[in-house]
Amino acid sequence: MTPFRSLFASAVGAMLFGAAAISGAPAAAQTPASVVTVATIGEPPTLDPVGVTSDLVSIITQHVFETLFTFDKDWNLTPLVAAALPETSADGRTYTIPLRSGVAFHGGGNVTAEDVVASLERWTRLSPRGKTTAPLIESIRAKDASTVVITLKEPFAPLTALLAMNNGAAVVVPKANIDASGPLKALAGTGPYRLLEHKPDQYIRLVRFDGYASPAGPASGYGGARAAKIGEVRFVPVPNATTRVEGMLAGQFQFADSLPAEMLGRIKDAPGVTPVVVKPYGFPLMIMNTKTGVLANTALRRAVLAALTPNDMMLAAFGDPAFFAPEGSIYGPGTPYHDAASAKPYTENDPAVAADRLKAAGYKGEPVRIMTSTQYDFLYKMSLVAQANLQQAGFTVDLQVLDWATLLQRRGDEKGWDAFFTYHTFVPEPSLITFLNPSYPGWWDSPEKRAALAAFNGEMEPNARKAKWVELQKRFYAEVPTVKIGDFYNLAASSGRLKGYTPTPWPFFWNTELAD
Amino acid sequence: MFVYIARRLAGMLLVMLIVAAVVFVIARVVPGDPAAVMLGSAATPEDVAALRVRLGLDQPLATQFLLYLGQIATFDLGDSIFLNRPVAQALAERAELTALLTLMSVSIAVLIGVPVGILSAAMRGRWIDQGAVALAMLAASVPSFWIGLTLIKYLAVDLPWFPVSGYGPPDAGFAERLRHLVLPAIALGIPNSALILRFTRTSMLDVLGDDYVRTARAKGLTPATVVLKHALRNAMIPILTVIGLTAAVMIAGAIVTETVFGLPGVGNLIVSAVQRRDYPVIQGALLVVSGIYVLINLSVDLLYAVVDPRVRY
Repeated sequence: MTPFRSLFASAVGAMLFGAAAISGAPAAAQTPASVVTVATIGEPPTLDPVGVTSDLVSIITQHVFETLFTFDKDWNLTPLVAAALPETSADGRTYTIPLRSGVAFHGGGNVTAEDVVASLERWTRLSPRGKTTAPLIESIRAKDASTVVITLKEPFAPLTALLAMNNGAAVVVPKANIDASGPLKALAGTGPYRLLEHKPDQYIRLVRFDGYASPAGPASGYGGARAAKIGEVRFVPVPNATTRVEGMLAGQFQFADSLPAEMLGRIKDAPGVTPVVVKPYGFPLMIMNTKTGVLANTALRRAVLAALTPNDMMLAAFGDPAFFAPEGSIYGPGTPYHDAASAKPYTENDPAVAADRLKAAGYKGEPVRIMTSTQYDFLYKMSLVAQANLQQAGFTVDLQVLDWATLLQRRGDEKGWDAFFTYHTFVPEPSLITFLNPSYPGWWDSPEKRAALAAFNGEMEPNARKAKWVELQKRFYAEVPTVKIGDFYNLAASSGRLKGYTPTPWPFFWNTELAD
Repeated sequence: MFVYIARRLAGMLLVMLIVAAVVFVIARVVPGDPAAVMLGSAATPEDVAALRVRLGLDQPLATQFLLYLGQIATFDLGDSIFLNRPVAQALAERAELTALLTLMSVSIAVLIGVPVGILSAAMRGRWIDQGAVALAMLAASVPSFWIGLTLIKYLAVDLPWFPVSGYGPPDAGFAERLRHLVLPAIALGIPNSALILRFTRTSMLDVLGDDYVRTARAKGLTPATVVLKHALRNAMIPILTVIGLTAAVMIAGAIVTETVFGLPGVGNLIVSAVQRRDYPVIQGALLVVSGIYVLINLSVDLLYAVVDPRVRY
């Protein structure tokens, strides 16, 4: 062997030897049986679920913190830290909430009415949902050690649903951990898991809380009995979707969230991996600026609705029809607030009609500034189709592709844009939908809408509420503040060893176990 | 020598001050608001404004900059807006991974690039040279994320020899953590080996044409002695330069590889910080990285004197 060959062979040999020496056992054998590793889309911005409405934060923190109420499998309210649903006074202004006894905090001590009052007051100060509700609240007080009374200035039917949401959440924490102006002194709740360790960008370890006091009754959705059967739930940020899939196939993760629809083929036939399709999950939106600019004109917004082809947009965004439905009703089929009749304008897409509406509205070719982002690939793809649709109808379109942080900032400036693309995760209570809030960018706030929303929020009787929601949806399609593009579903993957998992928009891992 | 080092270190302070000012301005000129990102898309402008006040982002830029300069003068990089910990701690937590990944990938790049580059130059024009040049072109053209995903598919999924992603479970020992870095190091090392190979080959070809090499051959020395003892030493300075630059770039530049392999390294930290507009992390991390960059360059300059006795400081 010449010296050159010898040198080359030595170098390659050393590399292979080094790699082999540390390759050791197969990767699949590294996870202890009582740990479920969940691959998430990234690092959560915080682990305090009160101040933010991030879904990722909700997915993780719902194991640690609990609210007074939650939702069962049919999206009906059910008690969680509360002992029962509230007793409401005849005038709809007073809610008396009994608390379960013996509900323990992770740091020690049991939940008292004083803790709940302090937690709800914190919620009204910090949570986007709480701050919306605060002006309607007259008082929150402890009637006795295990009863809380909320008195409203006027009837507000969504209150209990707001108290049940797991983002911007009214979680119950010890009064002693609440700092009037700062963050929580300790991340201790009453959930079936407690926070053990958080290493940013590496993992969040939640371990079984042995002192957990479960609600009674059979498990149903987020409600009923909760049992922490798995010793540890470990959330690992894996931003690359392909890596989340490969990690599932290799057995490194037991659950992977938010996978692109085109990955279904990779996981559907893989042994030991089960695809999970979550319905309902979310709906993309084209929010329009109803306050300033070219689309402040309702007739032009109605022209936009006629110009768009939602099915093409959803197809471009999600590919496989198994993962979307061109659905105009804000709530899809199978949910309590679904109504197809009032959403009929959604189906009336015609470029000629759009062109006529443009002409009638006196449109003179002013550019429509649409903001979109490649950070959410599906939003970017559907915005390209929207651009083509609108141009075909006669609009001049200025499509601005921004990063997500820039879009979030720019949308606050009412003079800077005419429309932007975003999406909304399914929410069980309609009043939680962001664009109904007049201070949400888009600023939809006509007198007729305000009246319809007030009538809906003031109605306590479920059937009458549905009728009033239909009226509000009719108003939505008359004024077109936003275009709902359709419904999309989430693809996740679960290990075949993970038993008892229930697909939900915010995946949870109590009541699940890991088979040998 | 010591005067030279002292002068370079003083220059380093100036470089870092300029970096601090430039990064501070760029981070704030770029649109995007950490408060809006933190609160999520459902937040109203009022919520965002309230959080900006809490984070001190409502203060004039000049005030924020003076506060920042005061902080770094006392070696305080500030606290991350999102990570709920000091920036220095966030960097320290990622230092081991980044250092090991850089070391491993540079080693791979050098172990492939230098010997193959020497071989290629020594056998100029023959099939081994043409093959090496073609392979180098290929390695330099293939994106590292593709190499990463291919390695994952074949060496982590089909043959479960290595983990797919992450830096090991919480109880992982040093060997286990190293095992998590093997595939990322290969994915990073291969494209960089192409660069080192090309530089080594060119540098060796320059030297092999010199008179003293012809003299050495005429004296009857073996080809190996001529190439490895006489030519290589004189060809080392440009090779060392490119190795130093490669190492410096990898410290914060392994972003794509870190994302593909879900590694919590410094590159990932910087990208996440930019996406979230976490100003203290962007500023602190880039300041530290620029310092390391300057130090690596200084080390390379000092190494010149070791490999070439004619170089004196």
